[in-house]
Amino acid sequence: MDMNNIRAFIIIALSLVCSACGDNKRHETAICALMDISGTYADEKPNVIKIVKAGIVPQMSPGDSLFFITIDSNSYDEQNLKASLTLDYTPSKANRQKLAFATKLDEYAKTGGQARFTDISGAMMLCTDYLKKTGSGNQSIIVFSDMREELKEGFKRNFDENEFEGINIAAMNVIKLSPDSSDPKLYRDRLASWEKRVLKSGANAWEVIIDPLKIPEYIERLR
Amino acid sequence: METLYFWPEMPGLSIVVLLLVTMLFLWIAREPIHKAFEALLEGTSGGLKKMADSAKQLAEKMRERDRKVLLESGIGDAKQKLQEEFQRVEMSYTKHLSNYPALQRKLDDSISKIETDYKDCGQATPEAPGWNEAVASIAKVQGSSGDRVIEKMLSEIHKSAVDGEKRALTELRNTTSKRHKILSSMAPVWKSISKQLKEVGELVGSVLDTTNRIDKHMTQFEKISKGDQDSIDTLASRANKLFIFSSIIMVVAAVGAFVNFRLIALPMSELMNDGSRFLGMPVSDFSALVIILIEVFLGVFIMDALGITNIIPQIGTMERNKRRLILYASLFFLFLFACAEASLGVLREMLTEAKTAANQALAGSSAAVASQGASQITVTGQAILGFVLPWVLALVAMPLEVFIESSQHAFRKLLILLVNTFASLCRMLAFLIEYIIKIIIHLYDAYIIIPTKIGSLASNRGKLQNSGAGR
Repeated sequence: MDMNNIRAFIIIALSLVCSACGDNKRHETAICALMDISGTYADEKPNVIKIVKAGIVPQMSPGDSLFFITIDSNSYDEQNLKASLTLDYTPSKANRQKLAFATKLDEYAKTGGQARFTDISGAMMLCTDYLKKTGSGNQSIIVFSDMREELKEGFKRNFDENEFEGINIAAMNVIKLSPDSSDPKLYRDRLASWEKRVLKSGANAWEVIIDPLKIPEYIERLR
Repeated sequence: METLYFWPEMPGLSIVVLLLVTMLFLWIAREPIHKAFEALLEGTSGGLKKMADSAKQLAEKMRERDRKVLLESGIGDAKQKLQEEFQRVEMSYTKHLSNYPALQRKLDDSISKIETDYKDCGQATPEAPGWNEAVASIAKVQGSSGDRVIEKMLSEIHKSAVDGEKRALTELRNTTSKRHKILSSMAPVWKSISKQLKEVGELVGSVLDTTNRIDKHMTQFEKISKGDQDSIDTLASRANKLFIFSSIIMVVAAVGAFVNFRLIALPMSELMNDGSRFLGMPVSDFSALVIILIEVFLGVFIMDALGITNIIPQIGTMERNKRRLILYASLFFLFLFACAEASLGVLREMLTEAKTAANQALAGSSAAVASQGASQITVTGQAILGFVLPWVLALVAMPLEVFIESSQHAFRKLLILLVNTFASLCRMLAFLIEYIIKIIIHLYDAYIIIPTKIGSLASNRGKLQNSGAGR
């Protein structure tokens, strides 16, 4: 074997080893839970926190990230990030982090406050910023809201064409408003317009989850 | 199509003229086009046929090679069996026949003792000859002579004769008693000789058994060495049987390895996980896999050092002391791994319990945690499983060797089958292409049938005219 062959062999071996080693990020999952605290949906706060604690947090694996953001009159604000979590790769530490996160949520549940307007788009844009920062391979936004947006005058919330690129979006616990009961088309049209809007902005998929027990299945599908 | 019309306003006429022009052109170009088709036929169908022939030859060569490998392996096996038998004979000689001189000496001693006793038995005190008759005669004479002196003398003789007879009788009785004693002391010696002879018989029997086995192996060896079809078939069937059997065991072993992997993967993530991946799996999972593979390799070293397998020939050819060193080192490391896995099993249970408790707390459930007793049983079970599985995996070395050896024949057979299938496909394709090209040529000839016929008629007429002018 001459020197050239040896060199070629070393280069091939090194490139194989390098290609074999990889970052965990693309196997990790980042989820952003949005909770509406405006109007009538504010009453749903304990229920939503319970769903997040029992449905989403236990499904997180070491390395995964979770953000809890509120939807109020001006959601595109760092103040709206109420709790965040990036789990350690060591399972025992990850367990402790989960419990600490749950405690934070419990503390938040005790606080009051109700927003006058509903800036869902701003919260989603804030979520996108956090999710993209994680660099995780699987990203999702789970919105707990009635999905009726009411923006303050002068607020602009236009999504970029690739705003939700690589992100799966799900609407969870979408309660029906009084007009929805009299005309279900309103409810359906509202959800359909959101679907159209987020898909147009590059979202991977849009889903409406009715049963909270389906959340583990949804997160499993993300992976 | 309309672009091809000479007069677009008269499509019928245009088509007729087009047909005539193409017919004429194809009739003129008949010979070169036929040659082109023949070249195409040769290039495609001929090429495929050659490819099929080459594949067939390759398959034949592979079959021949497989035959040779099977024979060599069969001869190797038979040689090994013979060698083992000879080793057994050697061991038997070393172990049993080394005692044979002592046994022989014992036998000689026993026989000498019997001989001495026999001689002792033969030494009897001789009886005075004719005394009984003399005493009887004197007894008859007594009282018949009338002479007192003679009577007294005869009486004395008679008395002394009777006394002598009594003494002789007593002596005889004593001697007989001694002989009986000697004979009774000979019984244990006889028994000992019988026992020793039985031992010798057993030894000879085992040697005869070994000889019979050697004879059997030699017959088989000769049969295989001849390389006839029956031997090949037997060897192939044996290889297939071993392949199927070892494959089943390997599948079971793979499932066992998977169970072991599941047992240690979670606790390994607690020990070493920095978020990086290797070959698409987390480093902790990869480490767990490596541990399992190392256990299998240690098993290979142990089995090779014990002489049970011969996967690494270098170990087999090592000196006894070095082999022993490898054996003890491998056993030591395997023991360490087994202990490590047992502790990982315990850690796994602790982690699972912690996760369950955390999930229950998150769900806000006040469900009772599993009883302490049940938890202890699970911990003990996992620890035992963690300790035992490495030893079980180490035993995989034996079926692994059989699998490696038998799979060569199986894979070669599969390859031969694939090559033969490829050859058949090539031949079929060549046949198909040949017929398609022939059909195209016939259709071509059919298309230019009118100018061809006119041409041949004109040619015949020309020939007739030429022959008429010639006359």
